[in-house]
Amino acid sequence: MNLTKDRFGGLLFLLLSVTYGYYAADIPLLPGDKFEVFHAQTLPYWLSGLGVVFSVLLIVLKPVASSTSEPLFKSNVLLMFGLMAFTFLFSVALPWLGFPITTSIFLASSYWMLGERRPKMLVFASVPFALVFWLLLTQVLDVYIAPARLLFW
Amino acid sequence: MFEGVFTGLSTALMPFNLLMVVLGCFSGTFIGMLPGLGPISAVALMIPITYTLDPSSGIILMAGVYYGAVFGGSTSSILINAPGCASTLVTTFDGYPLAQKNQAGKALALAAYASFCGGTVGAIILIFAAPALASVSLSFQSSDYFALMLLGLTSVAAFSGKGQVIKSMLMTVFGLMIATVGNDVITGAPRYTFGQMDLVDGVSFLLLAMATFALAEVMMTIMRGKMYANSETMQPVALSSMKLSMSEVKEVAPTVARSSVFGFIVGVLPGAGATIASFLAYGLERNLAPLRLRKMFGKGALRGLAAPESANNAASTGSFVPLLTLGIPGSGTTAIMLGALIAYGIQPGPRLYLDHPDIFWSVIISMYFGNLVLLILNLPLIPYISRLLAIPPQILNPLIIFFSIIGVYLVSFNTFDIQMMVFITLMAVGLKMLDFPMAPMLLGFILGGMLEKNLSRALVVSDGSFDFLWNRPLTLSIMCATITILLLPGVISFIKRIGSKGLPGAD
Repeated sequence: MNLTKDRFGGLLFLLLSVTYGYYAADIPLLPGDKFEVFHAQTLPYWLSGLGVVFSVLLIVLKPVASSTSEPLFKSNVLLMFGLMAFTFLFSVALPWLGFPITTSIFLASSYWMLGERRPKMLVFASVPFALVFWLLLTQVLDVYIAPARLLFW
Repeated sequence: MFEGVFTGLSTALMPFNLLMVVLGCFSGTFIGMLPGLGPISAVALMIPITYTLDPSSGIILMAGVYYGAVFGGSTSSILINAPGCASTLVTTFDGYPLAQKNQAGKALALAAYASFCGGTVGAIILIFAAPALASVSLSFQSSDYFALMLLGLTSVAAFSGKGQVIKSMLMTVFGLMIATVGNDVITGAPRYTFGQMDLVDGVSFLLLAMATFALAEVMMTIMRGKMYANSETMQPVALSSMKLSMSEVKEVAPTVARSSVFGFIVGVLPGAGATIASFLAYGLERNLAPLRLRKMFGKGALRGLAAPESANNAASTGSFVPLLTLGIPGSGTTAIMLGALIAYGIQPGPRLYLDHPDIFWSVIISMYFGNLVLLILNLPLIPYISRLLAIPPQILNPLIIFFSIIGVYLVSFNTFDIQMMVFITLMAVGLKMLDFPMAPMLLGFILGGMLEKNLSRALVVSDGSFDFLWNRPLTLSIMCATITILLLPGVISFIKRIGSKGLPGAD
């Protein structure tokens, strides 16, 4: 039995369903709930069971060749992880550096990562954009955006 | 009914709502044109904006974005042979060959006229079909609702294509699992929060929709290298005259009429949607065409372009029928709209027709205006809008990522949501690489809460017995339909296998 995409996916979901079912026991019940026909644990247990059944079916049944999958470029997979890392860092830096600075850095670094090397483009497509968007939110739409925490340090 | 139509007309004709239709159609056309971003992503990107609007305007905006995105998808299919979404894939079969024959303008005009006719026919049928179905569904009980939700969830899986049924079912279950995160709606007990206060309210619908559709789609586009490897070949072809001759109009008129009605019917079926409608309409027209014209299919046949275009627009309109009348979305896009309506505190379903006639009718009426806007405003502007395709992807993609994350952040002002988005996007990308479809998961997530409430109510009423599934004729009928739909793909492939074994030399 080869480990095809389908079987690998099935194994992942099997693991997920078993773990999900295991943690269903941790859901607190109200006194007397155990005797009710339906309580907070009921659906999670059923879903876990269904998940196990479908995962096993996916693992056991003959895989069907998919015609929709397109080849992915390995270098671009790294690019995707890089962009996701930038997004994560954006969320960490946002409260500390404030909206305009964080957004400018995030956009400029993302442009650079995706292949933009012209310094003028890197600056003009990020800093003015971030400032205009920030002004639009705070001055026109009256949305409150907390100032950078570093300013108060 | 006419009172409702006038209420809807007066709401849809409000200058602000007309502006929303225009804005929605424009932004939808633009987003839909970008390869990789379809109507689902376009509507998901609009959700944060709709939170600042009243429900009618918000839904009208989303509906406009929906048609606009389908239209935009057709434009990129014709001009650069890159369908913006699955439902316009068939458009490339004859649209792009027409563009290569220096008839891009004609192809775009035909696509717009066919879309307009499909959408208009769909909107007219919807005006009569929706209230009729809504009045019937007023007699529904919790057991019927539970059965209906099962029908919706299984239909999405059943129509998902060869080899995808079990994967879709798994994704539906996964969506239901995600819906259980947070405080239980019935008892208030925390479930799967792992002590995290940020998870007490559960996973936000907006966050999930943005992460799995907008953000994950951009990431997939980047990974496929489409916009990079082929950027030189993706230059739009030059437009020519947009005029159609009388003989050409006569040739495609019956096709448009047939495909519009056919598309609407397919669109009404939960889970079927515009993609299946466009493929089926194309196949139907090819089979109906005389041999001389049949040979032209795939080489620039006008009928081959008109059929999928009218069918996908009519199906888009048709998919609103189960959403507005039963509260069950017929497609991934309407699933997002259902989530948005619930976020407004409005429960779509039979009561929507009675409790919020302004929303019910204004959405239906605005569909017509949407189609009109696409024809009158968007078509002449296509040469200019298509220039937006020239924005370098290394600039465009970070902006789409930025708008996705900031849209979620501006609703909650909680950076944990962005981190959660990163996690869900990575998970969605992984699942997409394993060919797992995302729409069933979102549908499961959206229907999860309602499904649990109705199941619990039905079980309590029947004292813990499952006989509520067959006690009422209506519930039984819906359950029979569910089982039929679930077993249909398997039975069809079994019959095909038996048939092919019986034929000598069949492979």
